[in-house]
Amino acid sequence: MSLLDLDKVTVRFGGLTAVDQLDCSVDERQIFSVIGPNGAGKTTVFNAITGIYHPSGGSIAFDGRPLRRPLTWRLIALAAVVGVCTGVAAGLLAIDVNALWRATIKRNYLGPDAPFSYRAAWRDAAGYVRGDLALAPVRGGRWAVRTADDRRTLGYGDARQEAEQLRDRQQQLVDAAAGAQVVAQDDRWQLVADDGQRVLETFDNEADAQATRAQYTAIAAAPVARRRDALIAALLGLVIGSAGTWAVWHRARRSPEVISRAGIARTFQNIRLFQDMTVLDNVLTAMDRHLSGSVVQMALRTPAMRRREAEARAHAGKLLEFVGLAHRETALAKNLPYGDQRRLEIARALATEPKLILLDEPAAGMNPTESSQLNGLIERIRQRGLTVMLIEHHMKVVMGISDRIAVLDYGVKIAEGTPDEVRANPAVIEAYLGSEEVH
Amino acid sequence: MTPTAKRMPVWPLYLGVLVVYPLLVYPERALAGLTEISVGRQLTYIFIYAILALGLNVVVGYTGLLHLGIAAFFGIGAYITGILTVSAYPFQTGFLVALVASTIGAAVFGMLLGAPTLRLRGDYVAIVTLGFGEVTRFTLRNLEEITAGTRGLNPVPPPQLPGFVETPLSWLGIGADWSLDYRLFYYLALGVLVAVIWLLANVERSRLGRAWVAIREDELAATCMGINAARVKLSAFAIGCGLAGLAGCLYATTLTSTAGPDAFDFNRSMIMLCCVILGGLGSIRGTLLGVFLLVGFDNVVAPVLDGLIQAAQINTSGNRFLTFSNWKLMIFGLALVLMVRFRPEGLLPSAQIEAELGHERKSHRPAEAPA
Repeated sequence: MSLLDLDKVTVRFGGLTAVDQLDCSVDERQIFSVIGPNGAGKTTVFNAITGIYHPSGGSIAFDGRPLRRPLTWRLIALAAVVGVCTGVAAGLLAIDVNALWRATIKRNYLGPDAPFSYRAAWRDAAGYVRGDLALAPVRGGRWAVRTADDRRTLGYGDARQEAEQLRDRQQQLVDAAAGAQVVAQDDRWQLVADDGQRVLETFDNEADAQATRAQYTAIAAAPVARRRDALIAALLGLVIGSAGTWAVWHRARRSPEVISRAGIARTFQNIRLFQDMTVLDNVLTAMDRHLSGSVVQMALRTPAMRRREAEARAHAGKLLEFVGLAHRETALAKNLPYGDQRRLEIARALATEPKLILLDEPAAGMNPTESSQLNGLIERIRQRGLTVMLIEHHMKVVMGISDRIAVLDYGVKIAEGTPDEVRANPAVIEAYLGSEEVH
Repeated sequence: MTPTAKRMPVWPLYLGVLVVYPLLVYPERALAGLTEISVGRQLTYIFIYAILALGLNVVVGYTGLLHLGIAAFFGIGAYITGILTVSAYPFQTGFLVALVASTIGAAVFGMLLGAPTLRLRGDYVAIVTLGFGEVTRFTLRNLEEITAGTRGLNPVPPPQLPGFVETPLSWLGIGADWSLDYRLFYYLALGVLVAVIWLLANVERSRLGRAWVAIREDELAATCMGINAARVKLSAFAIGCGLAGLAGCLYATTLTSTAGPDAFDFNRSMIMLCCVILGGLGSIRGTLLGVFLLVGFDNVVAPVLDGLIQAAQINTSGNRFLTFSNWKLMIFGLALVLMVRFRPEGLLPSAQIEAELGHERKSHRPAEAPA
């Protein structure tokens, strides 16, 4: 049964087609080689499989299903939480968190000895949002009646009770100002509420009455506008927060990490070891997802954690022994000779416990002895139950161990078959040596 | 690399000196004649800056993300502590709650900053973090009702000592009054610093520590090995900024004030970065050495030399060029230039980076022994 299926995979970079409609299927426990001249798009195929590139077309299935980060409830919950948090933050900023703090904390807390009630603070917060007039203590033990945002003072009272009465009267004015009318009455001017009966205030001339009406209408309108702005900000924050979370997730749906966790490991053509880490740490790093334990356990280095680390070390040691690097555990990766670095990359890839391993030119830069050892190593990897996909230029390596070979030229598959079939294929010979007519 | 014989670790010696120092009366008194500064009091601040630098080291040293706004998180920690403890606000939770809240609060802000920078590399991370640092400073200044603007929140009360600690302290001759005796803050900061070092050393050797370094070394290869780069970077931001918040809490408590927002400006971030680079990126020992050298030079050596010059009556006319403090920045800059020229890996680099840069130097010499 086939483990990896490429169906019409196309990778385009701008106008350049690197891989064109590639069909290919790799069976379990097979050694499958991809060969072709330089620039044929072999590494691009590997990059598309491991999620470094997103194929422009076609599909890649592993074990019969496409590799994608699943949509889980956790993501939905996270998007909701992030959305709500951004919404609340944006709303608070729009409603002026500074003034809100003053209204709730500062007005309620009068010093270390005075009692403070969170319920009163909460009530004042609601009052601030509604735009209720508030009392603020001022110097000399007096109280000021102020608008919710503290921008205007509407009067003073010497005692709290007096101030409260003043506040209630002013509040009535604020509430009724918008619908109030200025009515002439016995050469004085009255501000009458919209029920036509309640007289709110009496003035000596019309201009004062009109000005007062305008002033109180503005005071009443300010919190309405602020509430509207805050609501818009909160909704925008909600949408942006949750959509952003979703977008980040969506963009990383086929990230290399997801592919690796599903069981595809790879090595790189231009060696990409963690240069400044030791050989052992390179392998341990790749075992990351098989090591459990929370940050707290790691920080406290609990006995369970130590045990797991020791087990991981032992396992990593075995992998290094498998590729023949057991004696170099403490060396830095960069200080290894070239051939050893390639083998370390293989050990690191094996440490992720893959089902399929992609080797990108593992024999590049190796001498004949090393490359024949590599043949043995690849064979042993297959005996561990893994499937191997290989890009290689050394024909000795390729023809010696491959079960199947696909030949790419300019991004197009020109041949596929057993080593003998490929060797005899005229299209392959043409791709490598040029056609007869050229001579 | 030649195998070195297992040596006795030297850190217990350093720790011993630092633990014993405040109990000796003589050194403080000897210096008291020269300047008004108390070395012990300054050491307390050095410990606090060491925690801050260790936090920065997690982000810059291990994970390789150039963070230029660490002071902002130091400030966030200080202000959270201020808001939770000062008598001007009703919360007055006490020191321990403030300590935890500052750490967690700064860590959350660190993640908020980290999340949008996940896809950025190198210089771009630096620009975003630099901007965030300045934004934080101005936000702290402009939220006048909450943060008291440029004045800062004060007084931040000292921690409450449990009763059973006071008696043993009095045997050692340490009073229980935080405002009179610096030694309480000294031991508090030293204790927290030792705990932080221990925890970080453990994380460094664990899965997460390796993932941080792997991201620094080669992010693509790390993700291809199944490491979730986003999560690892966020954890580095959270832990690094959380430690900065913890340091901020200790700073505000020791100073009994949050200081103004300008105490958390770009300069402070820069000095901390210099400490980490001077000591050696990605090395706990190196970072500690860097802080002791740079902050120690700034806070202890310079004032003491000033005092000496004053005492010797060299500078009676008040000549600016004869005041050591005025040469401070020049010496500091010169030292950095020389260091980058002759020892780019830092004074005490991590074993890994030391091998990397040391290797290049050694390759010029004839091989001493075949590998």
